[in-house]
Amino acid sequence: MTSHDVRDMLDLPGEAAPRPIKKAKLTGPRPVLKGLAREVQNLGGDNPIAIVPETTTFKKKRFGSRKPAAKWENQSFRNSAREDETLVLKHWRRKAESPAVAPGDEGTAAPNEVKLEDSTFAKYNVKVITAEYNDEQYQKHLLSEDWSRDETDYLVSMVRDYDMRWPVIWDRYEYQPPAITLDPQAAELAIVTASKPRTLEDLKARYYSVAATMMKVHKAPETMVAAEYELMEKMASFNPQQEAQRKLFAEAAFQRTREEAREEESLLIELKRILARSEKLSEERRELYARLDAPASTGNIGVFTTSQGLQQLLQQLMQADKTKKRKSLMGPDGTSPAGPSGLNQQASFDRRDSTVRGESISGPSGTNNKKGPSQGQTERRQLSAEEEILYGVRHFDRITSSGPAFRAERINKPITSKSSIQQQKMLSVLTELGIPHRLIMPTYAVGEAFDHLLTNINLLLEQRKVTEKIQSEINTILAIKKQKEEEAESKQILRQPEAVSGSGDVKVEEVEREKSAAPSINGRKRSASVMSAVSESTKRQKK
Amino acid sequence: MASQTLTSSMQPTDVYGGDEVSAIILDPGFSSVRAGFAGEDTPKSFVSSYYGVNEGGQVFGDDAIHNPLAGLDIRNPMSKEGIVEDWDTATRLWEYAITSRLTSFKQADPRNNGLNDDLKDLDVEMDGVEEGEKPLEEHPLLMTETAWNSPKNRERAIEIAMESWGCPAFWLARNSVLAAFGAGKATALVVDVGASTASVLAIHDGLILKKSIQKSHLAGNWLSSQIRTLFATSEPKVELVPHYTIMSKTPVDAGAPAQATYRTYEKEVTDSFRALEEERVLTEFKESVVQVWTGPGRLNSPMQAGMTNLEYAKSQPGRVFEMPDGYNQMWGGERFTVAEGMWDERAALPVAGEQPVQKGQTISEMVKASVNAVDMDLRSQLLQNIVVTGGTTLVNGFTDRLNNELTVMYPSARIKIQAAGLTAERRFGSWIGGSILGSLGTFHQMWISKKEFEEFGSSVVEKRCK
Ligand SMILES: Nc1ncnc2c1ncn2[C@@H]1O[C@H](COP(=O)(O)OP(=O)(O)OP(=O)(O)O)[C@@H](O)[C@H]1O
Ligand SMILES: [Mg+2]
Repeated sequence: MTSHDVRDMLDLPGEAAPRPIKKAKLTGPRPVLKGLAREVQNLGGDNPIAIVPETTTFKKKRFGSRKPAAKWENQSFRNSAREDETLVLKHWRRKAESPAVAPGDEGTAAPNEVKLEDSTFAKYNVKVITAEYNDEQYQKHLLSEDWSRDETDYLVSMVRDYDMRWPVIWDRYEYQPPAITLDPQAAELAIVTASKPRTLEDLKARYYSVAATMMKVHKAPETMVAAEYELMEKMASFNPQQEAQRKLFAEAAFQRTREEAREEESLLIELKRILARSEKLSEERRELYARLDAPASTGNIGVFTTSQGLQQLLQQLMQADKTKKRKSLMGPDGTSPAGPSGLNQQASFDRRDSTVRGESISGPSGTNNKKGPSQGQTERRQLSAEEEILYGVRHFDRITSSGPAFRAERINKPITSKSSIQQQKMLSVLTELGIPHRLIMPTYAVGEAFDHLLTNINLLLEQRKVTEKIQSEINTILAIKKQKEEEAESKQILRQPEAVSGSGDVKVEEVEREKSAAPSINGRKRSASVMSAVSESTKRQKK
Repeated sequence: MASQTLTSSMQPTDVYGGDEVSAIILDPGFSSVRAGFAGEDTPKSFVSSYYGVNEGGQVFGDDAIHNPLAGLDIRNPMSKEGIVEDWDTATRLWEYAITSRLTSFKQADPRNNGLNDDLKDLDVEMDGVEEGEKPLEEHPLLMTETAWNSPKNRERAIEIAMESWGCPAFWLARNSVLAAFGAGKATALVVDVGASTASVLAIHDGLILKKSIQKSHLAGNWLSSQIRTLFATSEPKVELVPHYTIMSKTPVDAGAPAQATYRTYEKEVTDSFRALEEERVLTEFKESVVQVWTGPGRLNSPMQAGMTNLEYAKSQPGRVFEMPDGYNQMWGGERFTVAEGMWDERAALPVAGEQPVQKGQTISEMVKASVNAVDMDLRSQLLQNIVVTGGTTLVNGFTDRLNNELTVMYPSARIKIQAAGLTAERRFGSWIGGSILGSLGTFHQMWISKKEFEEFGSSVVEKRCK
């Protein structure tokens, strides 16, 4: 392809002008090459191959662009984290571009020098905050029988010195009580008796109690930040006995023999296995329940409530079954079964449900009825009376007016039909009785019992309402009565003014006693009635 | 230096924790003194702790002390516990270690430039140069000490550093803590078996736990004495002949008597010199022949059907060792027996003039005692961070045996032993830790400055270096 063609394609103006010039250029300053380079050049003839030309200026350029070697100087610096800030150390640093200060001083600590660089590491100097207190605070809050002021001071200083590293504090704890030198013998005695060995828990307990107390003293707990409060709580609730106990256990575990360790290991493995198995089991059970549970049906089941509808459904099921069979004969890539998808779904659910039931039926009777519902009604097994009870099979002479319904729905109806407040009350009674809101195994018998229980609960709630009402009425009447009595009394007092100083106090007292007694009695009564009602209902439930 | 490879725009920032102030790390031990600059990976200066004395005075360094012609009496400034006994000599020895390789006294200093041999002259000039002519004026000094160093010794150390050497800053660190730092740990159980002492102690957050300190003499020197006993009780007796006595030797068969011509010296060589030279042969023997029975069980415990581990060990191929005089022999089960006493007190060979080894002195018992002396909550953590350091831990099989003993002792705990693979890192463990610590930027705030020393006196070291 020539450039002409390209231009043609790109719609550029015809013969380009610069072409001849290019040619001339090519022929013009042709470099005179030698050796291998010339050979390579010749290979290409007049159309030179693209070879990266050798540039001899490369090295020169690099040298030219290179900056002079970086200058370093031994700079003095200080560290503000030090307690004694006069220490000036030196390190090598890149010399600043502008010649600022001549490095004149030689090692002599120069606090008068304008500004000495501070170590970048000074900021890492972090100190723990330890409890602080003064004499008065100590006397007021921190007195302890076991701990002298001196030893507490010593402990706090140790905590500060060792940044709360408790193992170290305990390791280095060597409290020597100050010898009180009244007379030489007494001093000796004091030394012998006072310094008592402290466990790590003793030390922690004392320090935490001091720290928590002081936190409270410095800042009211209400005004503390959450973190502060938490810390204080934690320190205040430190339990040395428990901690010591824990360590004892840990030590026992630490000092196990090989056999014990091995046994424990095998036990642990066993436990793991059991747990895994039970998990699997519960998983399976859950799955089973999920299958047994009626899923919230999305479609309208009203269609099937009439016997006609049911017939239709059966037809559909058979249809679906047949197509399924055909499908399995045809292989996996067969056409999908016909029928409206919504109904199909319903059908498939029912199928699944019935197979499960079929299997569970086959369990106790021994024969494995794999054919299931596909056989149709013709070969329905005859259940014995026992089995019928077992599986909750019931026969109706005729379908009731409301038609078939899910038992679960029926069971929950008494609850769901009530107002939410009422519902709440009922549920709370159920919880109190330890009965799950949703029955785990809603067989017919259980459902009936539950139903019964719910009606009773309803009754109970109803009665409670009534009692409350009556109670309040009684209360108002009592109050009115009291008022009337008081009025009568005051009239009496007015009639007998000389008796005021003597019996008046007593009367008032009596009235007061009456007043305070009334509500408490009421309260007791009410709770008693609830209790009896509940116990009654539980009795019934048990039956 | 690493910073040279960085581009100019990348000055080390504070994220990189190093900030060199050309500190010097001095790690004196019973067998050797290690000194070097912080930030380097091995000490530049490695000098024997032994020094020689003759009429001319004291001589230091391996170049001088191994000279059989000089009639040297060989001594050591350190005590049997690995702490300084003879301070004057120790100071000179350390000075030698520092100035021979690291810094030097200024030109004019007469003591070390070798120009002044006339003692009278020296005194005169000394007065003149006393001021400002100290070897370490530019360098902070980080010195190591054993965990059982006495307070007096510690004060002495800072006095020397500040007053005699003019250090601007000083710090005294426990060598076991540094060994743990060198292994990258702040909490660890350090097992340090050096020349004079074997020690086990716990470290929590860079601080030693004093109650956990355990030490015994079952270290390098003791091992040497075991080998001596082995040689002396062998049939036939094995002669321990140091190198300097041999002029030439001819190869002989294993077990055959040596055929060598010996050197004689006009001046009688002292016993201590001979002992030093013998020690060198013994160290060779330790390095190449001695083997710790790695377990399971003790060397003398039964293995299977009536056979003890020792008998099994004997049946394994042995190792040949050739003495300087050419005598050579195959060492089979015996190479296990010499080191067994470190683990099993009943297996220790009796050494003339020494108490028999006690149970509590064995390494495993020391670990047990040490672990028992710390808080329960720390124990399992310590057992997971066991740092093994010191020259004598280099004997073959040491860490394996330690691991075996501890897994038997603590069957339910997790044991993890950290032992540097490189010989140098094991021997210089505490120096390397010091090198790391001394080059940390955050360490600058720790140094005891000259001013503080002047203000509080030498007791400042007790207060600060805990
Ligand atoms: N490869 C090795 N195998 C066995 N032992 C060795 C080996 N290398 C060195 N040693 C021994 O280690 C000891 C020196 O160890 P190290 O340098 O830790 O002791 P130190 O710190 O000087 O002494 P201390 O800690 O007792 O003051 C010597 O006894 C030496 O014989
Ligand atoms: Mg050591």
